[in-house]
Amino acid sequence: MPTIIACFKWVIDEAYIRRGFSGDLDFSSVDYKISDYDRNAIEEAVRLKGSHGGSVIAMTVGTPEATKGVKDALSRGPDQACFIADADFNKLEPSQTAAILADVIRSRIVNYDLILCGEGSSDLYAQQVGARLAEHLEIPCISFVQKVDIDGGQVVAERRVEEGIEIVAAPLPALVTVLPEINVPRIPGVKDTLTASKKPVMTIRKGDLAPLGGARLQTVGMTAARMDRICEKFGTEAAEITRFVDALRKKAVIS
Amino acid sequence: MDFKLTEEQELIRKNMREFAEKYVDPIAVEIDENSRHPAELFQKLAEGDWLGMPIPVEYGGAGADYLTHVIAVEELSRSCASTGFTVSIHVGIAAMLILLFGNEQQKQKYLIPLAKGQNLGAFVLTEPGAGTDIMAATTTAVLDGNDYVLNGTKTFTSNGPTGGTYLVFAWTDKAAGRKGMSAFIIPRDTPGMKAGEHFNKMGLRSSQTSEMVFKDCRTPRENLLGKEGAGLAMAMTGFDHGRTGIAAQSVGILQAALDESIRYSKERVQFGAPIARQQAISWMIADMATDLAAARFLTYHAAWLKDQQQPFSKEASMAKLFASEAAMRHTIKAVQIQGGYGYCKGAKVERLMRDAKITEIYEGTSEAQRMIISGNVLR
Repeated sequence: MPTIIACFKWVIDEAYIRRGFSGDLDFSSVDYKISDYDRNAIEEAVRLKGSHGGSVIAMTVGTPEATKGVKDALSRGPDQACFIADADFNKLEPSQTAAILADVIRSRIVNYDLILCGEGSSDLYAQQVGARLAEHLEIPCISFVQKVDIDGGQVVAERRVEEGIEIVAAPLPALVTVLPEINVPRIPGVKDTLTASKKPVMTIRKGDLAPLGGARLQTVGMTAARMDRICEKFGTEAAEITRFVDALRKKAVIS
Repeated sequence: MDFKLTEEQELIRKNMREFAEKYVDPIAVEIDENSRHPAELFQKLAEGDWLGMPIPVEYGGAGADYLTHVIAVEELSRSCASTGFTVSIHVGIAAMLILLFGNEQQKQKYLIPLAKGQNLGAFVLTEPGAGTDIMAATTTAVLDGNDYVLNGTKTFTSNGPTGGTYLVFAWTDKAAGRKGMSAFIIPRDTPGMKAGEHFNKMGLRSSQTSEMVFKDCRTPRENLLGKEGAGLAMAMTGFDHGRTGIAAQSVGILQAALDESIRYSKERVQFGAPIARQQAISWMIADMATDLAAARFLTYHAAWLKDQQQPFSKEASMAKLFASEAAMRHTIKAVQIQGGYGYCKGAKVERLMRDAKITEIYEGTSEAQRMIISGNVLR
C-alpha cells in the first residue's frame, strides 16, 4: 500500500491584500491559506489513499506560525504531517525549499511511493519546487497533471499540454505536480477541523537540516497592477462603427 | 485578557466562509424571492457537521464550543441571514435544550438525529395573544393516563412548516404561574399537531414561519422535557442561547453591509472620484465598522461566558440588543450609499435591510431586551 507525500505551502491569502488609492499594497491585515493548487495535491493524495489504501503525509516548510496551516492540511484527510519550521523560512526561494524537502524526505521518510505537489504556488507561481525536488531525489517528475492513478508499481498520469492530452507512466517512486482540474478540494467539516490537532506531527527545525545555500533573489519592490479606465464615445454612423472596431482591434479585444 | 480566537475557530470560520460563498451566495437571492426553504443546502450543512456544532460528539454533534457555533452562524448570515437563523434556532435552541435538560433516552431518540441534521428543530412558544407577555399564553397540556393532551394555537414558529422535532411549551398548571408551564418534545406527524401555511414575510423570507395548531394532540409522558413546571425556566435558558445566535446573525448582516458599502463606494464614481472619498460616505462607513466591532465583541463575549459555564443572560441580551439595532441602523445606510441601485431587488443591501428588521423583533424585542438588562443592572 502506497505512502504518499503531499507538499503544501502556507501563503498569504490574496483576498486580504488591500489596494490603497495610490496603488500601494497593504498587507497589514492579511490571513494565510494553503496555496490553491496544493489543496488539489492534498485532495488527490487522500483520494488515492481512498482507492489504494496506504497513508498520506502532508509536508510543509515554513515559519513556526504556520501551525494553523498544518492543522488545515490535516483536516483535509492526511494521516500525519511533517512540519519543517524556522523563523528564517519566511522568504525561502524555490531552490532552497526543494533542497530542504529533499533533505527531510531522504533522511526521514525512506519508503515513500509518490510525492504530489501543486503545479505552482498562489504567491510566486515559479513552478520550481516540484521539479527540483524530483531532481534532488533522482526520481521521475510528471508535470501539468490533470488525472493520476497508481497501477501496480507505476504511476499513470494525464498531462495537459498545449497540443492536447499526453498519457504517461513512470515507475514508483515518482513525483507529480497537479493542475486545479484534477479534483475539487473538500471544504473540511467542523469535526475534521477539531480532530486535526490530534493527528501526529513530526516537527523538524533548521538545526536538524544540512546547511542551506544562500538566497539569490531579491525583492526590489511591489505594487498593485493598475487598471486604467478610458471612456471613448462612438456614434452610430458607418464611419464611427469602423472606428469602434479599429479601436477594439488595437486594444486586442478582437482580432 | 486574550482577544485571539483559537486556530480551530479561525479555520472553521474560513471553511464556513468558503462553504457560504460556494453554496449559499448563488441561491441567496432566489430563496429570498421565492420564500423557499433550501433543503438541498441543509443536506450539505449536515454533511459538514454544521447543524450539530456545539453538541458533543457522542450525541451526534461536532463537539465544538458555543463560540465556534456563533462564529459559523455569523459567517453563514453574512451570505444569507435566513439560513444563519435557521441553523441558530435548530441547534442553538432546540437541540441545545434537549442536551441541557433531556434525559438519556430523549437524547438518544431526539438529540442525535437533530445534531446530525436528519431533521430540523423548532421552538414553539409564542402565541397570537402572547408575545413579549408570555404569561398570557393559553395552550394547555393535561395529563390523561400516560399521555399529555395539548390544546391551543402557537404562532410565528420558525421551522414550523419544515421542522421534525418541536419543543412545545404549554401550561400544565396555569395557577402555579411561572412554575406552571412545561415543555414537550413532539415529533412531526404526531396526530393533533398541525403546522399552518408559511407566512409571507417582509424579510428573512426563506426561513419558514407558521402557526402551529394543537387539537387534542397526545404525546406520551416520556416526551416531557425536564420536570413538569420547569418549562418557563428552560425557555429562558433557550433565549439566552438563542439571543446570542441572533446577535451573531446581526453581526453577519452588519459585516455584509460593511463589505457591500466598501466595495460599492470604492467603485462608484461621482463628481470625478469614488464616492468613498466623500466625507459623507466615509463617515457612514467608519460608524458602520465601529459598531460592527462593538457588536462582535459583545456577541463573542456572551458566547465565551457560556463556554466558561458562567451566567450570560444579561450579556446575551446586551449583545442581541446592540447588534440587532446596529444591523438595522447600518443596513439603512448601506442602501443609502448605493442609492437607486441599492433600492432595487437583487441588490444585496435591500435584502440585508429587510432581513435586519426582524432581529430587533424576534427572540425578544429590543424593548424586552431593555427590560431584561435594566432589571439586571437595577437589581
